[in-house]
Amino acid sequence: MLSIKNLHASVEGKEILKGINLEIKAGEVHAIMGPNGSGKSTLSQVLAGNEAFEVTSGEVTLNGENLLDLETEERAREGIFLAFQYPVEIPGVSNLQFLRTAVNAMRAHKGEPEMNAAEFMKLAKEVSKQVDLDPAFLKRGVNEGFSGGEKKRNEIMQALLLQPKLAILDETDSGLDIDALQVVSKGVNALRAEDRAILMVTHYQRLLNHIVPDHVHVLAGGKIVKSGGRELALELEERGYGWLGIKDEETADSSAN
Amino acid sequence: MKPAPTLSTAFLRPAGQSLPEPLLALRKQRGTALVDMPLPTRKTENWKYSSKYLKLTDDMAISLPADGKAGSSLAVPGYKVVFLNGVMMPEASEYPDLDGISIQSFGDLSDEEATELADRLDSTLDNKAVQMARLNSARFEDGLLIRLKPDAVLDQPLFIVHEVTASASGSAFPRVFVDAGRNSQITLVEEYISSGSETVMVNTVTEFNVAEGANITSVRLNMEGENVQHIGATGVRQQRSSRFESHCVGFGGPLRRHDLQVRLEGEGAECKLNGVVVTQGKQHYDNHTNIEHVAAHCNSEETYRNIAADQSHAVFNGRIHIHQDAQKSNADMNNKNLLLSNGAEIDTKPELEIYADDVKCAHGATIGQLDEISLFYLVSRGIGRREANVLLTMAFINELVEQIPVEAVRETAQTRLNQFFDQTFEEA
Ligand SMILES: Nc1ncnc2c1ncn2[C@@H]1O[C@H](COP(=O)(O)OP(=O)(O)O)[C@@H](O)[C@H]1O
Ligand SMILES: [Mg+2]
Repeated sequence: MLSIKNLHASVEGKEILKGINLEIKAGEVHAIMGPNGSGKSTLSQVLAGNEAFEVTSGEVTLNGENLLDLETEERAREGIFLAFQYPVEIPGVSNLQFLRTAVNAMRAHKGEPEMNAAEFMKLAKEVSKQVDLDPAFLKRGVNEGFSGGEKKRNEIMQALLLQPKLAILDETDSGLDIDALQVVSKGVNALRAEDRAILMVTHYQRLLNHIVPDHVHVLAGGKIVKSGGRELALELEERGYGWLGIKDEETADSSAN
Repeated sequence: MKPAPTLSTAFLRPAGQSLPEPLLALRKQRGTALVDMPLPTRKTENWKYSSKYLKLTDDMAISLPADGKAGSSLAVPGYKVVFLNGVMMPEASEYPDLDGISIQSFGDLSDEEATELADRLDSTLDNKAVQMARLNSARFEDGLLIRLKPDAVLDQPLFIVHEVTASASGSAFPRVFVDAGRNSQITLVEEYISSGSETVMVNTVTEFNVAEGANITSVRLNMEGENVQHIGATGVRQQRSSRFESHCVGFGGPLRRHDLQVRLEGEGAECKLNGVVVTQGKQHYDNHTNIEHVAAHCNSEETYRNIAADQSHAVFNGRIHIHQDAQKSNADMNNKNLLLSNGAEIDTKPELEIYADDVKCAHGATIGQLDEISLFYLVSRGIGRREANVLLTMAFINELVEQIPVEAVRETAQTRLNQFFDQTFEEA
């Protein structure tokens, strides 16, 4: 489904991604782990098409189609979804209006008729229950004044509404308490499907207790330095990143706790 | 040194004579005082950013004839008064017929009524600050006098359509005077529109006298064409416990100037002033507001938003003056500005003068562009770039548009906004 070959990217002239290679097949769940600053969010943002990051070389294809040639909105319509590490607050645009506009943009792309306000309201209420978000949130500005956990649930809600082919979840587990983590995990597991791939980006492995990945990759210094199965995540939890020759005090600390 | 330019004498020639004698006399007196009136220049503080847009030529001095047919493009529901080139058109109008509310053309006033009015015209405005309003007082051909008896309530909005037909060069001088008695209530909508394409000026003055406990809502929608230089002033005097709410929505033009002056003269009076301005192309718009907290325990709340695209230029100047005796004043002024292109310009200046010591006064002004990160967030959900731009731009003014208490105005404004979005944001 997704194929990344020798991807290099930089921001403000500084190279962050230094040759990423990754193959993800439909139905698979991949986890990318790595210390802070290793380039996880950069990779996520580059895949979604954030122009603040410049791709200097390499190739990314989605089902054989060159992804890097597409605008952000075209990528989204082709099935790329990014759950942001830091979801954006947009006062003045209601969450409901935002979600309906997005869903209808996708439907228009597929040649499906628009959903009217009433139809959409019904759908949105159902999905908001799935992520345990009070429908009152639909009336508020996009992420406006949402707590960290509410923002993350709103991201998962969007994924459930937009039904992407590839969902990239950038630290969707960070800042969640145990209950919220359960809710989010349930939402992510609901996304799992034969024809869908999930790329989970995370600093810790605790989300992986709930959503079991098929493959785990370690990103460090802008490169994937190790790949393996589920057990790699457990090993990282036990031993920190140090045994891979990677410096990451924060993770070493947290695993010692 | 080059002598400062003065108002051409062509603008001071006698105009139509169909007004009661006391008003003719007043007009003449005002005209005499205008001889040698200096025109605003770059050095005139309150015209600093806008004087270059004011281009009065002698062929604009003539009053536009009110002999055309008022072809109001607005399907206005309910009560309305139509002005054509500054003159009331009774046959195109629809007056409310309610106890306690009188609506008259200046031309229909008795000498006694006209004498009383002549005494009070201009009394809401600080003539030094609004020099150009004085020209209206020297030139008005007609006017609308609205009087509300105590406790009178107008049951639906009254639209005042100010239309100019610019089939030749000239000017129009519409005038409105509102006398709202104790505890009366009215919602007035003033719409400025134009047809034709010759260069014209609209020089307009609206005055509100708001008695104790009265509740006035004023909506002002400026949609005149690219050939119309608009210089307008609104003066408001508020007595004890009265409320004045203003919603100004304006689209730019070659020159757009609105001075809004509110005097809070009685304790417990409050005003709320909202404004939305949208400019594009090479358009201009300048809002100058002045709130005088004269009495104690008054509240003022002001929120203005400017959106400037292309090479357009928007100006906001908001003055709050809290007099020495105006203790426990509460004043809140907020101006936010959105630049949609690198070529656009916005100048904003809050001016606070506070002479009382026990007051709450907050003000803020910002100038920014559409947020790239918000834009990316929206398009990353498949929303098209044009639509994302529209959502974010509307988000900037939504709150103010939604507060306009007259649906027909919200709709007209939204239609015009959509046109603006079509012209400003390209399809991806
Ligand atoms: N917009 C940006 N401008 C400048 N530097 C950035 C920007 N975004 C990320 N970086 C830098 O790129 C590196 C990788 O960051 P990031 O991809 O956010 O790492 P991670 O998500 O793994 O913590 C860091 O050194 C960070 O400072
Ligand atoms: Mg990150």
